[in-house]
Amino acid sequence: MAEKRTKKFEEIVERFVELKDTSELMIDLAYSSLLLNSKELAEEVQRLEEYMDKLHTEFELQVLSSKFKREEAKGFLGLIRLGVVTEKIADAAAQIAEVVLRGIEPHPVLALAIEEAEETITYTKVTENSPLANKTLREAKIPEETGMWILAIKRGEKCIRPKPDTIIHVGDILIASGYAEGEEDLQKLAAP
Amino acid sequence: MPPFEKIEYKPVTVREVLREMKNLSELMIDLAYSAALFNDKDLAEDVLELEKRIDTLAYHLEMTTMVAARDAKDAEALVGVSKVAAAADKISDAAADIAAIVTQNIGVHPIVSEIFERVEERLTKAKVDEKSVLVGKEIGELKLAPRMGVDIIAIFRENDWIINPKNREKVKAGDILIARGTHEGLKELKELCEGKLEKLED
Repeated sequence: MAEKRTKKFEEIVERFVELKDTSELMIDLAYSSLLLNSKELAEEVQRLEEYMDKLHTEFELQVLSSKFKREEAKGFLGLIRLGVVTEKIADAAAQIAEVVLRGIEPHPVLALAIEEAEETITYTKVTENSPLANKTLREAKIPEETGMWILAIKRGEKCIRPKPDTIIHVGDILIASGYAEGEEDLQKLAAP
Repeated sequence: MPPFEKIEYKPVTVREVLREMKNLSELMIDLAYSAALFNDKDLAEDVLELEKRIDTLAYHLEMTTMVAARDAKDAEALVGVSKVAAAADKISDAAADIAAIVTQNIGVHPIVSEIFERVEERLTKAKVDEKSVLVGKEIGELKLAPRMGVDIIAIFRENDWIINPKNREKVKAGDILIARGTHEGLKELKELCEGKLEKLED
């Protein structure tokens, strides 16, 4: 019985972590859309915002249907509130992306501020001689090699969300986030 | 109610203020989640302090952009800046909401914290063992970001939090570090702290 409860809690927390991670990814993508003045990325942020709404509702329903004991209820109220916060963060990200979708040319200071920030966003095009070409993201081991993680891949007009078995093509633009120091390593890998 | 800081116009560098707002708002989110998960009131209070700082920055930024816009064209160019600053402010408000869960004694169930620590891969807490190679080293010389893509965002030492520690800060035995970064990097950092890994790899 106790085990069954723990499993249930585990599912709730896992869904929450998905909310949290998605909201943070959205911030990074939103800043990326400004940096590249990219409507595709900005649209991806808006799509994720809709996905968040759905996920958040599912999360709340899941918590509500969990029949907590009284002494557990308070601790899960905290979790419900955390869920609300992830929505607020997602809204803020959507607000940033909206600037791009409104057709406002991002002021150069925005790009400068993003590039100079501690956790920076960078993008780089994969050239033909890159060791990354035709590898899956799993094989490419970019986080291990550079400390940067891939937020999105721009392939022509399309914006692809990275999965471990996504194959990197020549000409892809990799959009990555991480600490400024990893930027150069990523550039070297993508365009040696 | 705590007193609000009086606002007077002073010209600021938009780029610098935006950068600080972006840095602080993201730092606050990580600190706030840490405060909630480790149920740490002091850390939560620090997040609320940072929130006030962002509010003040937002005022200054907004006044500067107002003064900078002389015509419709300027206004079009600057409205994006103003919106992005407002979004960073909103993110810091969200962090303060998380901190309030802790300061208002609502808290998060220990089961939640336990599961969360297992499934969340971007944030970790580690205690520095006395036999760890990190002891006595300056944070800057460890070069954690280029080496493993992680950043130490706070240190708990002698009942106090050091937020966003400077490069010159030395790691001491018994420190509790809060770090964020890649999953692989955080695992490595944890092993370094515990003394299981004895060498910093390049």
